[in-house]
Amino acid sequence: MSHTRGTFAALVDALVPETPELADRGEEHVPGGLAVGLEEAIIDRVNNFQEVDGGVLGAAGYDATPMAPAVAVLLDTAAAELLVRRRSEDGFNSPAEAFAGGPFSRLSREDRLRALRLLEDEGVFPRLADRFDSAALGTIQFLASSLPILVEFVYYSEATADDGEERSLGWQQADYPGPADGYPVGMGYEIEDFEENDY
Amino acid sequence: MYERDTDVVVVGAGGDGPALAWRLGQLGIDVTILEAGPFYGNEKWEAPNDAPGGERSGNPSDLSGKLYDEQFTSKEADMNDPVTGKLRWGPADSDRPPWQRTVPQQALISQLSGVGGTTQHYYANHPRAFVTSVDDQPHWPIDYEELVPYYQLLEETHPVEPAPTTPKAEVFFEGARRSGYDLNDGYNVTEAGYRPFPNAIPQPDERLMRDGGGDVEEDNVPGGENGQYRYPDYEGDTLAMHEHQGGPHPRGAPMRERARRSSNVSLVPRALDTGNVEIRPNAFATGILTEGGAAEEATGVEFRDTWAGTTERIHADVVVLAAGCIETPRLWLNSGLPDNGWVGRGLTTHHFDFVAGTFDPDTLEALIGQRAVEPHQGQAAGSRVDVPGKGGIAVNTFAPGITAMAMYAAAQGEWAFDRDTAGEPWDTAGRLAGRQLKEQMADYRRTLTLICHTDDRPRQENGVSIDETTEDEHGPVPLVEWEAHPEDDARRDDLARRAAEILDEAGAEHVHRTDAAPILLHMQSSMAMGKVLDTGCEAKDVSRLFVADHSALSNGVGGANPTHSGQALALRTAEAVAERYFGGVDDPIGSV
Repeated sequence: MSHTRGTFAALVDALVPETPELADRGEEHVPGGLAVGLEEAIIDRVNNFQEVDGGVLGAAGYDATPMAPAVAVLLDTAAAELLVRRRSEDGFNSPAEAFAGGPFSRLSREDRLRALRLLEDEGVFPRLADRFDSAALGTIQFLASSLPILVEFVYYSEATADDGEERSLGWQQADYPGPADGYPVGMGYEIEDFEENDY
Repeated sequence: MYERDTDVVVVGAGGDGPALAWRLGQLGIDVTILEAGPFYGNEKWEAPNDAPGGERSGNPSDLSGKLYDEQFTSKEADMNDPVTGKLRWGPADSDRPPWQRTVPQQALISQLSGVGGTTQHYYANHPRAFVTSVDDQPHWPIDYEELVPYYQLLEETHPVEPAPTTPKAEVFFEGARRSGYDLNDGYNVTEAGYRPFPNAIPQPDERLMRDGGGDVEEDNVPGGENGQYRYPDYEGDTLAMHEHQGGPHPRGAPMRERARRSSNVSLVPRALDTGNVEIRPNAFATGILTEGGAAEEATGVEFRDTWAGTTERIHADVVVLAAGCIETPRLWLNSGLPDNGWVGRGLTTHHFDFVAGTFDPDTLEALIGQRAVEPHQGQAAGSRVDVPGKGGIAVNTFAPGITAMAMYAAAQGEWAFDRDTAGEPWDTAGRLAGRQLKEQMADYRRTLTLICHTDDRPRQENGVSIDETTEDEHGPVPLVEWEAHPEDDARRDDLARRAAEILDEAGAEHVHRTDAAPILLHMQSSMAMGKVLDTGCEAKDVSRLFVADHSALSNGVGGANPTHSGQALALRTAEAVAERYFGGVDDPIGSV
């Protein structure tokens, strides 16, 4: 597993992990994002976030900036900061073999999310962006906060369903039946028409 | 370079531009609308995300309900994925990434390109502005009563009607009643109260009432046929709850008969009917053409064909910017027009928050006669509480992916597992992950989700400028910055506590507050009337240049959903354009 893929797998595993403890709610609640290849779906999106407008990347045949490796490095940087600032509550305790071996993927699940938060707020990058009033550095905050949004949206959408499958794992876990043409659930009207009242 | 002439060129076919174009078309004035994104549901573009298709559409017979049904699948990733979805801020070509903005903070921008703009995923909520936000706050140079005739016309046209009560709405209403709110039954809101949402969604067929003979259980079978609620057998709302996915119901209907009245469904067909309006999608405006030096005058627009990459020009007697709160000031600033300090500034966002209540089945059985909330049934947002001076609280329900994103992922501050909520009216707060997230989402069908729209106030430090260091093919990209003022935080906190009380009174067993990061979906007042624009929404510093989108609103209209006010003002601006440059208006809707 590459460093990029392993780091994104560690991110996915922190946000939507396998949860054997939920088996009593039904077996469908046990698997998490890694079971449906969510890390690949997220890498694809991060790599299709920003268009290449000529330049070296354009000459090399890229249509979009391959940002995922850079984001993986940022996550490792944040992990290092978490450790150096003694903000890690669990130290290195993740089963590192499952992922790529960078510092981010070796943190506990909750510590990975604490590290992510350092990129959004309080950490070195947000402080530098603030100190130098740098929009370019500030975009790291935007990028970091986009990651859980993308992961949780894609997981609970239909995107990770296999071809021919009616519902994704996320839709099954939410017990969402999928699109409908309508529902006969009207209960009448609290008001028939609004008044043109005085003001 | 391709060049042509018209009477009025409008930049942007979003929520408001088509309202202005419709009125100008009625007055016999020729209008070309340039739209950066695709035109869905139009025979000139059979595969709008795959091929350039036609060039322009000016004939209502081009509109195709059949294509709309094919393109708008009601699936949330297919429609709403911010990177790859059909409804995104980006070019029509689905192989290309979204268009770039520089956002140096935690935030989520939820704005769409394409004919219909952001109304393509709106919930058709059309409350008027809170009266006090126009008449008592210091921002508006006109009175509330001057907007009323335009509100009335839209209410009749779309139409705007009280949303039907559904089980999830009844849970909310009962919570509001028990919390002491009275029913507001008027269009003009001056006091706190609850009410059904005034929505631009024609009411459903009587057979869609719970006792009308339909079978909800059958409608819930995964992958079931569920094809019985289709046009022409059913007209109006079908309570399918796919507003966020494009709201294409009832299936099988002509475009103009779709129930959710986004501007591409309601106003664009009417504008095309006048015979004087044409729309050119896939056309990104890159410059405002001017003449005259000190007494500057707008003469046209330069734009780029997003498929061919060619630059073209259109010359006009009047230019109207309706590109939204971010792109309108970007275009202005990239054109080198004068900046009096308020261009792009004063942005309001309604500083959203969300509060969710999860109910046990027995409580729901007693309250609404069913054992789940069923957020995926009924209008997405059909009931609300108004609190003038603070904002509003509304039921906001989504399919699961959007629920996870908005309610549980797009928060700020500490993760929920690191927060202490002792003494607060919510059991958990902040972003959810891991087991906590999966448990909350496993309760999706027992959970009622509420949104808080804060009456945030315009501040010069918030808004849009230009990131000179980052350029795309349309020039330097916009730099968007928005931060809550402590007074806005206090109003939002008040609303979140009220929302928690409503859920608690209704009997929720678990209440969660999101503490949302800035979500830029409702955007207003970045080119405000009174600051950048005069009372006819013509630029103070550039003649023959008008603004007709939500950026022209003088403030955030009190936290009421802004589409109704944006469209009302756009209609009024159309009459100002005709009055000033096209010989007047014989039968005005209001007075300009």
